[in-house]
Amino acid sequence: MTGAARVADLERRLGDPFDPANPLSFAEILAADERGEMFAAGERALDEFGLGAEFVPSADGGRLTRLDHLVELMRSVYRRDPCLGLGYGASSLIAGVNVWTAGGSAQRGRVADLLLSGRKVACAFHELAHGNDMAGADFAATPDGDHLVLRGRKEVITNVQRADAVVVFARTGDRPGSRSHSLVLLDKAELPGDALSYLPRFRTVGMRGVQLGGLVVDGARIGRDAVLGAEGGALETAMRALQITRTTLVAMSTGLLDTGLRVTLRHTANRTLYGRRAVDIPHLRSVLTGAFADLLTAEAFATVATRALHVLPGQTSVYAPAVKYGVAKLVLDAVHQLSVVMGARFYLRDGAHGIFQKLVRDVKPVGFGHIGRPVCQSTILPQLPALARRAWLSGDGAPAVLFDLGADLPPLSFDALALSAGGRDPLASSLLAAAEGADPQVRALAGPFAARLRDLAARCAGLAPRDLAMTAPNRSYDLVEAYVTVLTATACLQLWRHNRTDAFLGDPAWLSAALTRLSRQPGGPVPLLPEPVEARLFDELSQRLADNRGFGIANRPFATGTTKEKSA
Amino acid sequence: MTADISTPTVESIGAWLTERVAEYVDAPKESIASDVPFGEYGLDSVAAFTVCTDIEDHLGLVLEPTVLWDHPTIDALSAFLVGELNTAR
Repeated sequence: MTGAARVADLERRLGDPFDPANPLSFAEILAADERGEMFAAGERALDEFGLGAEFVPSADGGRLTRLDHLVELMRSVYRRDPCLGLGYGASSLIAGVNVWTAGGSAQRGRVADLLLSGRKVACAFHELAHGNDMAGADFAATPDGDHLVLRGRKEVITNVQRADAVVVFARTGDRPGSRSHSLVLLDKAELPGDALSYLPRFRTVGMRGVQLGGLVVDGARIGRDAVLGAEGGALETAMRALQITRTTLVAMSTGLLDTGLRVTLRHTANRTLYGRRAVDIPHLRSVLTGAFADLLTAEAFATVATRALHVLPGQTSVYAPAVKYGVAKLVLDAVHQLSVVMGARFYLRDGAHGIFQKLVRDVKPVGFGHIGRPVCQSTILPQLPALARRAWLSGDGAPAVLFDLGADLPPLSFDALALSAGGRDPLASSLLAAAEGADPQVRALAGPFAARLRDLAARCAGLAPRDLAMTAPNRSYDLVEAYVTVLTATACLQLWRHNRTDAFLGDPAWLSAALTRLSRQPGGPVPLLPEPVEARLFDELSQRLADNRGFGIANRPFATGTTKEKSA
Repeated sequence: MTADISTPTVESIGAWLTERVAEYVDAPKESIASDVPFGEYGLDSVAAFTVCTDIEDHLGLVLEPTVLWDHPTIDALSAFLVGELNTAR
C-alpha cells in the first residue's frame, strides 16, 4: 500500500470518534484516561494495523519511506488520543531513529524485529537532575574489558517497563565534554530478570495514560557490543537523529488541534446564546477562523520542515528546533483560544465535549516534551550570526521539491543529518529571492517579511559571543522569535506559490490569513483578518466540518461510521 | 587587540584561540589555560559549533562542527589546525 492508502486505511480502521457506537469513540478514550490507563482497544487496533512497522525504514523491513506520510498517519492517532500517539507510537520512533542512525546491522535487525512484531522500544535519555542537558547525564556504562557495567537511574521515561529494549544515553568516559557518552542498546532478553528495577509511575497532569516510569540499574553487565555506533558518539548521534523526531512529533500534534477546533465548532453550532447561534457571534467566529488559520500555518511550516529532512538534511539542525519552537507555540496558543470559546464547557470532564478538557491537558507536553522550547531557542541562537553573514542576504533559492507537495521526495538519509547548518539556510534565503522576483503579487506578499529578514541580518551578523550563550540576554531570544516567524511566513508563502493548482492551497486567502497573523508585533494584539479573507476561510471551515474532512494542509477525508464491520 | 595569525603556528593560533574562548565564556584571557578542556570553562557542545564557524571564517578552512569536541583543549586544537592549514597550502 502507498503512504496515502495506509493513511486512509488507518482512518477507516479507527472509525468516527464522535460516534458513540464506535468502540474507539471519544467516550471510551475518555474513560481510559479517567482510569489513568492506555486505551486498550485503541492499542489493539494499532497492533492490527501494524503501526510499529511505520517506524522501521524500508531497508530494515518496515514501511518507513517518507516522513511526511508518517506524520499524516500519526495525526490520525493524535486527533483521537494523544496518549496513543506518544505512548504507542512516538516513543518507539524516538528510540528507533537513534538505532537507524548509529546502529550496526545486528542492532538494527533486533530493533526492527521488535517493532515489526508490535513490541515497544523505549528511549532513556532523561535524568531529572539534568533536564535537557544531555552532556550532564550521570548514568554510567563503564567499560570493563568486553563488558559495560551499568549503574545509575533514568527518570520520566515512556514505556520503560513494558519495552523489550531500551536505548540508554550513558556516560562511558570520565572527561567533561561532548565525547564521554555513548548510546547503549539495552536488550532486556540478554539480562537476568533482577538486573533492572523500576521506579513507580510518575503521575502527570495530562497524557495520564502514558506509562512514564524510571529505570534503576546497579552493577548489571552487558556486552560492550551493545554500544550503538562509536563509543563516545552519543551526543553526536542524538543531535543528528533527534532532528527527525523534534520535527515530526510536533508536526503530528496538529491532529490534536484539529479535534479541539472540531469540538468547539460542534459546540458553538449547537448552542444558542443571546437569541442566536453562538457560531454567528462575530467575535467567536473570528476566534474559530483564527484557530483554523493557525492550524494551516502550523502545518505549512511543519510540512516544509518535514520535507527538509529528506531534501536538506544538512540544514535541519536549525529547522528542527525552529519548527518545534514555532509550531508548538501556534498549537498551544490556538488550543488556549479555543478553550476561551468553550467557556465553562472546557472545564467539564463528562458529556459530549468532555474530550476537550483532556486535549487541553494533553497538549501541554507539546511545549516541553522531548525538548523544551527554551532549549530550542538556545540551540538556534548560536547559529544565527553565521546564517546572517553567509546565507540570508544571498537571495539563493530553495529547491522546488521542498514545497511542491506533488513532487517525490528523495530517500531519507540518516547519514546526511548534520550537527550544524554551516551557515546555509535555503528556506530563509528563498524569501529574498521571492521578494525580488518577477511576480508582483508574490513580491507584495513577501515584501514585509523580507524587510524583517534584512533587519534581522543586520542585527545578527555582529552578535557578540556573550549574546549567544545559554545565558544570553532576553533581546537575543527575541531575535530567535523573529527568525522563526520569518521562517514560518516563508514556508506558507512558498507552499502557496508551489501548489497553485490546488483549489484551496492555491487560493491566496489562507496565505493572507497566515501572513496577517504572523505580522503581529511582539507583545501586540493579533491583527484582525480582512473581512473577505475571514469569510472565505470560515466558509471553508464550515464546509470541511460538514464534509467530515481534516482542517489541515492535506484536507483529507476523515472516517465515518464505526469499526464494527472490521471484526465481522 | 587581536592576536597575529599571519604566520600560523601552534603558538599564534593558540593565542588567538585563547582570546576567542575568553570572549565566549566572558572571562579574562589570562584565566584560560591551554591544557584545560573547553567544557571546564563552560563552553558547551553547541557553543563549540559557533567557535568552529569563527575559526572557519578567520582561517579560511572548512571544518567538521565537532572539531572542538575531538580536540578539546587549546593546545590540541591549535596543533590540529596548524596541520589542517599546512595540508590546505
